[in-house]
Amino acid sequence: MADGAISHGFTQNQIAGSNPPPCCYFFPSSFMMANPEAEVIALSPKTLMATNRFLCEICGKGFQRDQNLQLHRRGHNLPWKLKQRTSKEVRKRVYVCPEKSCVHNHPSRALGDLTGIKKHFCRKHGEKKWKCEKCAKRYAVQSDCKAHSKTCGTREYKCDCGTIFSRRDSFITHRAFCDALAEETARVNAASNINNAAAAGNNVNYHVMGASLVPSMPPHLASIFKPVQGNHRIIDSTRPEHTLWMNQEVYTDPIISCSNPPPSDYQLSWVLGNKDASSDAEELASVTGVGSQLVSVPSLFSTQTLNVSHHTPSANMSATALLQKAAQIGATSSDPSFLGSFGVKCSSNQVQDGNKYCGLYGTSSISTGLGSDVESSVNDLSTLNQLQMYPSKRRHIQNEDCTTTGGQTRDFLGVG
Amino acid sequence: MERTLFTPKEARYPNNQSNGHYQLEMQSTNQPQSSHTSTSRSSDSGEPCGDGKWASKLLRECARAISEKDSTKIHHLLWMLNELASPYGDCDQKLASYFLQALFCKATESGQRCFKTLTSVAEKSHSFDSARKLILKFQEVSPWTTFGHVASNGAILESLEGESKLHIIDISDTLCTQWPTLLEALATRNDETPHLKLTVVVTASIVRSVMKEISQRMEKFARLMGVPFEFNVVSGLKSLGELTKEALGVQEDEAIAVNCIGALRKIEVEERGDVVRMLSSLQPRVVTVVEEEADFSSSKTDFVKCFEECLRFYTLYFEMLEESFIPTSNERLMLERECSRSMVRVLACEDEKGHDGDCERRERGSQWSERLKEVFSPVGFSDDCVDDVKALLKRYRTGWSHVLTQGDDSSGIYLTWKDEAVVWASAWKP
Repeated sequence: MADGAISHGFTQNQIAGSNPPPCCYFFPSSFMMANPEAEVIALSPKTLMATNRFLCEICGKGFQRDQNLQLHRRGHNLPWKLKQRTSKEVRKRVYVCPEKSCVHNHPSRALGDLTGIKKHFCRKHGEKKWKCEKCAKRYAVQSDCKAHSKTCGTREYKCDCGTIFSRRDSFITHRAFCDALAEETARVNAASNINNAAAAGNNVNYHVMGASLVPSMPPHLASIFKPVQGNHRIIDSTRPEHTLWMNQEVYTDPIISCSNPPPSDYQLSWVLGNKDASSDAEELASVTGVGSQLVSVPSLFSTQTLNVSHHTPSANMSATALLQKAAQIGATSSDPSFLGSFGVKCSSNQVQDGNKYCGLYGTSSISTGLGSDVESSVNDLSTLNQLQMYPSKRRHIQNEDCTTTGGQTRDFLGVG
Repeated sequence: MERTLFTPKEARYPNNQSNGHYQLEMQSTNQPQSSHTSTSRSSDSGEPCGDGKWASKLLRECARAISEKDSTKIHHLLWMLNELASPYGDCDQKLASYFLQALFCKATESGQRCFKTLTSVAEKSHSFDSARKLILKFQEVSPWTTFGHVASNGAILESLEGESKLHIIDISDTLCTQWPTLLEALATRNDETPHLKLTVVVTASIVRSVMKEISQRMEKFARLMGVPFEFNVVSGLKSLGELTKEALGVQEDEAIAVNCIGALRKIEVEERGDVVRMLSSLQPRVVTVVEEEADFSSSKTDFVKCFEECLRFYTLYFEMLEESFIPTSNERLMLERECSRSMVRVLACEDEKGHDGDCERRERGSQWSERLKEVFSPVGFSDDCVDDVKALLKRYRTGWSHVLTQGDDSSGIYLTWKDEAVVWASAWKP
């Protein structure tokens, strides 16, 4: 093979059994798992990054690619015999990363593509010389940078509330304070309060300082998601973060099944005042330091109770009426394929359940929201599904929470 | 603005050309009302220099008169300013209006009362919605605050890299607008997402009332991001010097970062050294400090000098606001009103012990560096961090830039507006 003559000396043929030049190593092929016959090539960083590795043996001219070299050799009018490459079959070559601490340094994790290993080395261990003009993001591989530049700044981020952002950072900040976010989880809180009217003091929003936090949702929140008839999941398409919890497979009793909670608790939790106030007050007391005042709790809840009173007629509906209403809403929902993204066998029954649940906590306007947004939710949620929970990386916020209708959603409780 | 300061009788100073500095057209002496449109310039005093910056001249004159206790001149100038000023006009008129208030309070020694009134008015009209709208809008049109956020977040993330239990102590009134992007960064890092505990120390009474709502939002957002999160608020402190590890809930296995945004200037000047030492006692990995670049401290005893510096700084600020917001912006008006409180506080109030964290005596970055160097050593901002800052500034209108400090003076980075340094951000380690 013409490569053998190259001064960089990166083939094994010459060095098998002899003292190899510093930039070359020969590993027994038994190390290779995927391709036992493959030739493992370890190039030094210098060699790897050298641009003109393919040298013509006749005139010494260097080329970036082997094809270019071959093309060039034709011009030398070589006799037919020498024109061919050596008859020795070219073995599949795999390349290891020269960086010793890298996982790809080991032959079992070698990459089959030279360009691939070059890019890998650059990206992971190389200096980031290339920079995007617009956002200053740095890249070690020029093609990566170019690819990024094409889409940089063109991406738009849409919040649930309908606002569109061209800047990611302002989108993120807006999202955190957007009412749309508050509404969704407020509904969850309300739901959990109903289910755990007796379980005081474990409010989601306040963690007692010093308690060892398990990075998952508090148990009572998970109470929302227990299947109705044992095996089905209640999935709320309007709340991706809850579906994330779904993936953690926590089930407890559904709201629907406990359709007859004790009336007094029922009323209490709808109002969302008392339980939270007391539990929060306690926890605030433990949270704040000596001599410090409590954050004024009443102000928050006065706001909330205001909202509640706005929807008082609903709050006073009987459980039966709630279920009937929910059933109506469930009938108008659509797109069971969304559920498929969670590996759940779709049955209209489930969709019904899911939307029944939604119906409990949303006005009829939600159904339209469900219909229109589910489609976009599918993509986002399937992405989320893949990314799982806390170790999720590279999660795209963009359109992630494309869920509730813009603006008009007031949940059943009027909370949030 | 107290328009009833001057009755028609008082206003009827005849063509009293004190010092012969200016002519005065007494067209509408019967009505003490000031003009509220920018066309009021036509009845302007005929300033010899035609650059239109009448406000600064009048204001400076007035400050000098006050310091010299020349009451005739004081009255005259105050009256003139009253005629020409308006909080709804152009920059000059606005500056005239708000500084007039401060000067009047100084002259009549009513600063304390005025400040209390202004504060309580602001508190009453303050709500979560209005505060959120204000701060987010401001961040959208100007990097004044986001600059500090980006620089600080970068420094914090880098120094807490690899830690699994993070505790950030946020001493600021930013209403946690700094943290969503940090949470997002934590969530998208390549390794394990750490647990984040955020303890916010609130100084301004106005901010306290909305912290409950803020905390809920932050917790929800952290859940969305998938970051294990805990949120605490510490408020009601008489002074930051009272903070202790216990009060903040600092635990042994946590990696601490202290984030001070516009916080150090709230401390009474004499106590600043103590507070810096207190910060060091928390044993943080990093302390990020962001402050506005102005010196209202070293000139505490020299009123005119202090005033000049105030004038310089707020002129810059108001001009920046004018160019960043649309002319009819309500948010801009609210920000300007907030300045008026600071002005009164700095210019017309005596510094007394027991003030509840409302001192507004800013210091320059170099001055803060002097203080911080006593217990900390500077940490430079990494190239990546500076790149982030650059990228941030690119997203705003032209006029914004940054300057890295050279030499071993300090490690900060300055935000510049039209080549004037306006905000200073720095990072420190023990």
